[in-house]
Amino acid sequence: MEQFAPVRRSKDGQPVRYLIVDDSVFARKNLARMVETFGGQVAGEAGDGLNAITEYDRLHPDIVLMDITMPQMEGIEAAEKIVQQHPDARIVMVSSVGYQENIVAALQRGARHFVQKPVKAEVLYEVIKYVLGDEESAAHAAGAGAGV
Amino acid sequence: MSDFLDEHGEMQDLFFETAGELLQSLNDCALKLEKHPGETETVREMRRIVHTLKGDAAACGLRELSELAHTLEDALAFEALDQSSLAEVAFTAADVFSSMLNAYHRKSKVPTGNALHKLIKELTPVAAEVKASKKKSKSKAKVSATAVWTEYETLAQQNALKLGKKVYHVTATIDRLCAMPIAARQLLITALNSSGEIIGTRPEKNSVQASPIMELLIATEKSAEQISAKAKIPTVIANVEIHPLGVAEKSKKKRAVAPEVEINPVVEAVAAPTPATVEPEIKSVAAPEAKAQESVQPSSTASENTLRVDAERIDNVLNLVGELIIGKSMLQQALNEFARENPKDAMRGKFADAMAFQARVLNDLQRSVMKVRMVPVEQLFRRFPRMVRDVAKHCGKQVDLLMSGQDTDLDKSLLDAIAEPLTHMVRNSVSHGIESPEERAKLGKAPRGTIHLRSHHQGNQVVVEISDDGRGIDAQRVRAKAVQQNLISADDVTRLTENEALEFIFRPGFSTADEITEISGRGVGLDVVRSVLQRLKGSVEVENRPGQGTTFRLKLPLTLAIIKALLFRVDQRLYAIPLNAVAEISRAREADLHRVDHYEVLQLRNQVLPLIRLGHRPLEQPFSKGSAVSQRIFILVIQMGERKLGLIVDALEGEEELVIKALDDQTVATDLVSGASILGDGRVVLIMNLAAIMERFNKSRPVRTDGSIGLLLSQSEQARLAAQAGGRS
Repeated sequence: MEQFAPVRRSKDGQPVRYLIVDDSVFARKNLARMVETFGGQVAGEAGDGLNAITEYDRLHPDIVLMDITMPQMEGIEAAEKIVQQHPDARIVMVSSVGYQENIVAALQRGARHFVQKPVKAEVLYEVIKYVLGDEESAAHAAGAGAGV
Repeated sequence: MSDFLDEHGEMQDLFFETAGELLQSLNDCALKLEKHPGETETVREMRRIVHTLKGDAAACGLRELSELAHTLEDALAFEALDQSSLAEVAFTAADVFSSMLNAYHRKSKVPTGNALHKLIKELTPVAAEVKASKKKSKSKAKVSATAVWTEYETLAQQNALKLGKKVYHVTATIDRLCAMPIAARQLLITALNSSGEIIGTRPEKNSVQASPIMELLIATEKSAEQISAKAKIPTVIANVEIHPLGVAEKSKKKRAVAPEVEINPVVEAVAAPTPATVEPEIKSVAAPEAKAQESVQPSSTASENTLRVDAERIDNVLNLVGELIIGKSMLQQALNEFARENPKDAMRGKFADAMAFQARVLNDLQRSVMKVRMVPVEQLFRRFPRMVRDVAKHCGKQVDLLMSGQDTDLDKSLLDAIAEPLTHMVRNSVSHGIESPEERAKLGKAPRGTIHLRSHHQGNQVVVEISDDGRGIDAQRVRAKAVQQNLISADDVTRLTENEALEFIFRPGFSTADEITEISGRGVGLDVVRSVLQRLKGSVEVENRPGQGTTFRLKLPLTLAIIKALLFRVDQRLYAIPLNAVAEISRAREADLHRVDHYEVLQLRNQVLPLIRLGHRPLEQPFSKGSAVSQRIFILVIQMGERKLGLIVDALEGEEELVIKALDDQTVATDLVSGASILGDGRVVLIMNLAAIMERFNKSRPVRTDGSIGLLLSQSEQARLAAQAGGRS
């Protein structure tokens, strides 16, 4: 696997904390593995939208990676509820091509970005850098994403 | 096998494990659909399962599996689904996926799944057309590159300019690798919304066109560079062109509402994205379907607090607990000595208290560690509904499967070990136990047969029962077969009790040769079942109700690692047997023993108990009057299933919890010993395998002239055992 320069929180230089939400244990572990290679730290996991909300309230992660189709509560609704409570929440939707409409809906409701399954580490890396960045660093990260 | 899994070994196990669970759920769905065709909730569940499998497989780079799952997922989203054959498709899918997984696992050639493809296609006769029309619309979408703004948009643009804002015409090329252009457009809008006011977009806001470029007008205070940076969203937008629009330019074209407002130098570059990579893939049904899924499905809530631990680590802990138990009995022994030597010492009480406390905690510890290894038998039972259905269908039977006691816990290693035998027996029950519907009707039975799988705890054991209400086993035919196969003489066979006769079905090779009688199939593989159970220190029994059914009963110890045992001496050596096999202990004198036919027996109350002599009788004085005859001996009455036997032993030593240490085959050449253990004082004790002893007893009739079964080991063998077990014998 290729090496990634560790992504740190700009405010304090600490590792970025992630909440990973997916009903597939495998998908969760896979994402966890990736974010760890980015120098991140998995603050928590959830297997459905309801849990995602409670886990967000508890953990206040820097980034949420959110699946769309899940039992109990879909990712869109969970994303919407989280953003309502925490307008600064950075939620990245993770889903297959077939759920494009849902991603659009999630973006309209406050999700910050999306990655497509199967997730490629280098794509996720760029997305995370972008989502984390404020104005300047977003500009800094821009351009890197193309041509991966 | 994909590179991904090769690279990430730890993910591999997880993938195959979860995939296996998904397939199991898929099978469950199939069974449900067969009972209730077209149940929307089930179809939805099935789609979600397939979706997850697709996602996981794709993440692992297992292309064939992922694609096939994708096709099925698409088909399931299709409204005009052919419900009638859905169950069949689900079954086939589960099988095909399973064989693909196996192939990946073994790194062999992956099966094509063409059959499934065909089934899926039949499922959605119209789906193909929809796809085709979609393709057409896609190619159309590519054409326009220069936007045409409406009158309103042009007006808004002019107003913004008048207010001193800058207006840019942004042309963004969606990244070739981003397969979701609509989502990409939305993201671009979201990203730019914070920097200014978006006047208009092409394609329009809620369009589902899969156009690879997006044009928009934005009124903003920011510079072109800032907007460009905002719009360059990594992984989504590959390229951004920005053109400021001036008032002059605008006013000139203002009245010309229509076309070509902006010059667009980027059009050439736009051709890059190939149609294949920008495939739209908008399922018309996806959105409502996905929303509806919010309903009940509390399945995965518990999993958050679950930890997956390598079984080996738990075994290590269990081993250490075992060592602790040995330590405890060492301490106990030392304490006893201390108490004997200093009967008046006040410390005795303190020691005893501390000892009792430690014993209790140790007990709890042992139980907790063992519980970690426990899994409900449901994990095993789950596979049977599908299997029973398949086998029944194949042999034209009608069978209902009932299951109870699925929550009974059993050691994981034991569960894995009995999976094969149990599968085999359930299969047997369907194919040989249950009669055909016609036959059942003739006998006045309901046409549908019933197989009941039960499980429960019984003392220190777990019992798993398979009963059917079929024809039962014809003991007469078993007898005839046994004689025919030269397993027993025609003379002896008549003396066998019904239960003894049934024992033949557990003999290796019994009855397989003859395919004519239905009964013959019954014995196939039962010898294997029995040998597996023996290895596990369990047993298998059969309860026969001719004409009404058969019950096979598997009994297993709760765990393999620690047993409560009875210790005794034979010829000055120490042995142990599991305490739960001992029905009673009786005292006798040599003179009380009688000889009937070839075996020694004891009249125990109103029962005649066959005896096994574990030691060698001194040959010089067999049955002679003398000192040996009046010697007191003990008879351990052991019960295995319906059968009772007495073991003749010289002296009893007491009962103790033994931590079993496995012995390898090189150390012990006999199957009569199942393991060894070390006592607190360092002595080594051999644990006898009662099932093997009983079998030896059955086979060896007529017994050897000295009445023993030749169990005892020579001195040198004992010494070697001690060395291996690590004690100081």
